[in-house]
Amino acid sequence: MISPKKYVRATVFYGFFAVVTSGLVLQDMPSQATTPEDKSGAKECYESIKGATELVKKDNVVPKYGYPNVKCSPTTGAVLWYGDPYDDTEPMGDMPTFGDHTDGDFAQAVIRTRTKHLKTIIQNGTKCSGCHPAADATTQKNDPRELMMHQDIVSNATKLQHGRGAIWCFDCHNAANRDTLVDHKGQEISLNEPYKLCGSCHGVTYSEWRMGLHGKRTGEWRVGGKKRWWTCTECHNPHTVQEHRFQPIAPELPPALPRGMTKDDFKGASGHGGH
Amino acid sequence: MSEDKRKNDIDEGQDDGTTKESRRDFLKKMGVAAAVTTVAPAATAATTKAASIAEHLQTHFEMMSDSQKEAAIARLEKRYSEQFEKQVTVANTPAPDEVLFGYALNISKCIGCRRCVEACVRENNQSRDPAIQWIRVLQMERGNDTFELENWHKGSPSSSRIGDYGVQSGGHADKAVGISGHTDHYYEPEQVPEENAFYFPVQCQQCEDPACVRACPVQATYRDPNGIVVIDYNWCIGCRMCQLACPYWARRFNWSEPALPNEEMNPKTHYLGNRPRMRGVMEKCTFCLQRVRDGRYPACVEACPVGARKFGNLLDPESEVRKILATKKVFRFKEDFNTEPKFFYYMD
Amino acid sequence: MTTTTQCASPAQKPIAFARDFCIYAVKGGKVYYSWLLFLSFFVLVGLVTTYIQMTTGLIVTGATDQIIWELFVSNFIHCPSIASAAVLVVTPAYIYKRKDMKQLAVIGEAIAMVFVIIGFNFIFFHMGRPDRFWHTIPGIGIFNFPSSVLTYDIIVLNVYLVLNAVAVFYYLYKHYVDQPLNTKFYTPLIWFAVAWGPFIHIITAFILSSNAQMAVWHSALMPFSFLAMAAAAGPALVIVTLLVIRKFTKLEVADSVIDFFSQVIIWGVGLLILMFAVEFFTELYPATHHAAPLEYAIKGHNGMKPYTPWFWGVMTVFVVQFLLLCNSKIRKSYNFLLPLICISVFLSVLIEKPSVLIFPAFSPTPLGEYAVYHPTLIEICNVLFIWATGFMLLTMILKGVVGVLVGDVRDSDVAVEGGAK
Repeated sequence: MISPKKYVRATVFYGFFAVVTSGLVLQDMPSQATTPEDKSGAKECYESIKGATELVKKDNVVPKYGYPNVKCSPTTGAVLWYGDPYDDTEPMGDMPTFGDHTDGDFAQAVIRTRTKHLKTIIQNGTKCSGCHPAADATTQKNDPRELMMHQDIVSNATKLQHGRGAIWCFDCHNAANRDTLVDHKGQEISLNEPYKLCGSCHGVTYSEWRMGLHGKRTGEWRVGGKKRWWTCTECHNPHTVQEHRFQPIAPELPPALPRGMTKDDFKGASGHGGH
Repeated sequence: MSEDKRKNDIDEGQDDGTTKESRRDFLKKMGVAAAVTTVAPAATAATTKAASIAEHLQTHFEMMSDSQKEAAIARLEKRYSEQFEKQVTVANTPAPDEVLFGYALNISKCIGCRRCVEACVRENNQSRDPAIQWIRVLQMERGNDTFELENWHKGSPSSSRIGDYGVQSGGHADKAVGISGHTDHYYEPEQVPEENAFYFPVQCQQCEDPACVRACPVQATYRDPNGIVVIDYNWCIGCRMCQLACPYWARRFNWSEPALPNEEMNPKTHYLGNRPRMRGVMEKCTFCLQRVRDGRYPACVEACPVGARKFGNLLDPESEVRKILATKKVFRFKEDFNTEPKFFYYMD
Repeated sequence: MTTTTQCASPAQKPIAFARDFCIYAVKGGKVYYSWLLFLSFFVLVGLVTTYIQMTTGLIVTGATDQIIWELFVSNFIHCPSIASAAVLVVTPAYIYKRKDMKQLAVIGEAIAMVFVIIGFNFIFFHMGRPDRFWHTIPGIGIFNFPSSVLTYDIIVLNVYLVLNAVAVFYYLYKHYVDQPLNTKFYTPLIWFAVAWGPFIHIITAFILSSNAQMAVWHSALMPFSFLAMAAAAGPALVIVTLLVIRKFTKLEVADSVIDFFSQVIIWGVGLLILMFAVEFFTELYPATHHAAPLEYAIKGHNGMKPYTPWFWGVMTVFVVQFLLLCNSKIRKSYNFLLPLICISVFLSVLIEKPSVLIFPAFSPTPLGEYAVYHPTLIEICNVLFIWATGFMLLTMILKGVVGVLVGDVRDSDVAVEGGAK
């Protein structure tokens, strides 16, 4: 038999080591979660096109849940989440009949008032007609010339790629009323309703958009439910659409790497992309 | 770029400005966390404890009576409201009748901006650290990088008696066919979409015959009447058999107590949807159950800046998804697993 | 048989048995206490780390959403292999009626019983919510049978545990009171337990192979390789146990018994090598994406070779063990080489689990990611905690078992009679 004294000594010895090891173990613990501050404090953010679809974050638009109208990305300033998908919208109103079964879904459709968000208008603080009164209809259709201004919108107006040389500014912009658009029949169209103009050339896309296949909608998922329909120029810039159908944007941050892995481990890694 | 940014985010978020937490801080925080969960005033401590025990002993959500459900929801609302210092609602909105939810994603439109990922995190109260994300966007190279002119005469094996006519691209003795595609989860260019890349977002495919549901030993995860695979977070035992069974890598586990800042917490929750989870349970995409049962589009649909994401009722021929199924080139991811996803990928 | 009257009523005898058994189990000599003290070190540390894991969550392990199984499952899978010991001891004793093993069968059953308990402990540590284990209990919880494969495993392991526990303690009790076994009860029980034994491997293998998305596991060979591992690792532990018992106690263990088990190990390891070979051929020759995890283990991926040394190391050790055991001189080296090789077999089958079977199988993930598993100190301490408690339990139970078998633990009435056995 082991003597009691020895037994006690051995126990103390082992106990000491156990405590030391436990201490080491504690040091090995992963750092506990820290909660970063809410960085989504960005006030101005954009939807699809940076520079053309900006909107302002408003707090407590839905008081029941304390929702803002939108939540914005702290890293890219993109609108990520809609507290109120109908914020700042107006009813779509009557739509031309189209001769297919998409008719009749517009009763609850809403669109965002584009004129409130167009940078050119906002910066000037006045409507287009403030600088270009109707009397100033000096230019005719199909008479391309260098622009004196608005080069930021169209850098070389004589080589407008949209329509591949077949059309020019006043094929779409209403020379008689610069605050509106115009179609090839001379019909005046609101800047808020570009689909009535675009659809006259892009028929297939237009019909898919009416069906809900092309473009984006927010709101209710039910057929005929209240939805915000995103209009053509909220995603496409007609002046540069040949360059980029959709203007490239900054992506959100990549996901965290698996614990213990470094970026180098994935460099040039080729996984199998499924079946 | 992102690693540094992420670090900065976290560092700035700390009030004491230290970058690395000491052990003592950690223990202190643990203590604080414990104090918060048991609530300071002694008078309420007993009732809180009773509520906590009741929560531990409650049965599966679908087996509760209406009054039990009400009690369970009241307990949760109280706990969450105290924890997040705001009025939190936990809904029990029933599944709408005659609806089978389906999702369609246009891979020729997706630009890989990851807004869906971030929207999902904000909507569904995922843990911010460790970060849990339900959507993973894969970047893939267009074309096949193994076709190269200078390799045309280099077969594998490199020499044989009849000449070098071995396999030249794709698969060969050292590289299996089918593993030539290039996927990147961690791309971070200045702008997307990048040239020569396309993007493939993956989230729960809401299978009709889900491998995860079959694997769960306690039926904590099950298919709801609308075809959404949901989880009763209070019934899950954390065995992760579902995560093992899922061929889509759609399920995420709460490896630790989830960290969710009060001000970022979405107070509109559903019992089976985005209510805050606890340590040791599984979670995943529910098509934003708390929204879709109320009629709203899922958050990822609303966040997508290019309209690549479509959602609707598969039983309604007029719905967007049904029209896509009827008119577009549609496929399901990993069809060979026979899980019958209700998440469809399509191309224009 | 009439009992001598001065003693306790029959109802109190099981209590006396339990008391005598326990007292004998905790008493021992210097070596015995040193061994228990050695184990208690890991238990002490493990208590701390267990507390940390239970209060912090599984983030203290190396598991991630990419590699979701940690060392706990890897070790759990080893437990049914050892629990097979019962089958391999009982079968020769009762079905082939080997006289030299008749008395030793109960030792095999005790080992099986303890290893099922160790297995449950590992599962307990693996669970994210161990406090909710009652959700699996039929009646008060929901038992998703027959849909979930895990429920099959719960059934087979529990039944096996009960069968062996009953067999062990019934046998010991009868020995204690010196009554003959009721063969009408005991023989069917033993036979049933033997028939049940393979199920615990087959179903445990099904937990892995039922996952179609885990490409390398989705193989019909999985249950058979598990059985082969059982035939290797189970007898390895039995040999070491019997050699220790022979050295330190009065219980006699014939050389023929040891020889029998070393033969079984040869077959086990040999079949295992064969099964690895056919599996590797089937995967690697077509080299579809199903081979990707195996290729990752064998030669790494994209410069990451975390499992390559383990893979080749384990495979080499298997082959070397097989060749060494084929030599009868080495098999007869009861005091040195044979136990050494047996410990090596036990450990190599154990180490094969995380480093070859489990961790590499998770790469690529279903979305094509490759990852590396980094075990943490806390996780390792918890694994050692479970093994230490398990071996403590095993040691004490086997001590009691031997005590009963050699007659040190026996009913006082019988002892008075002079211990006519």
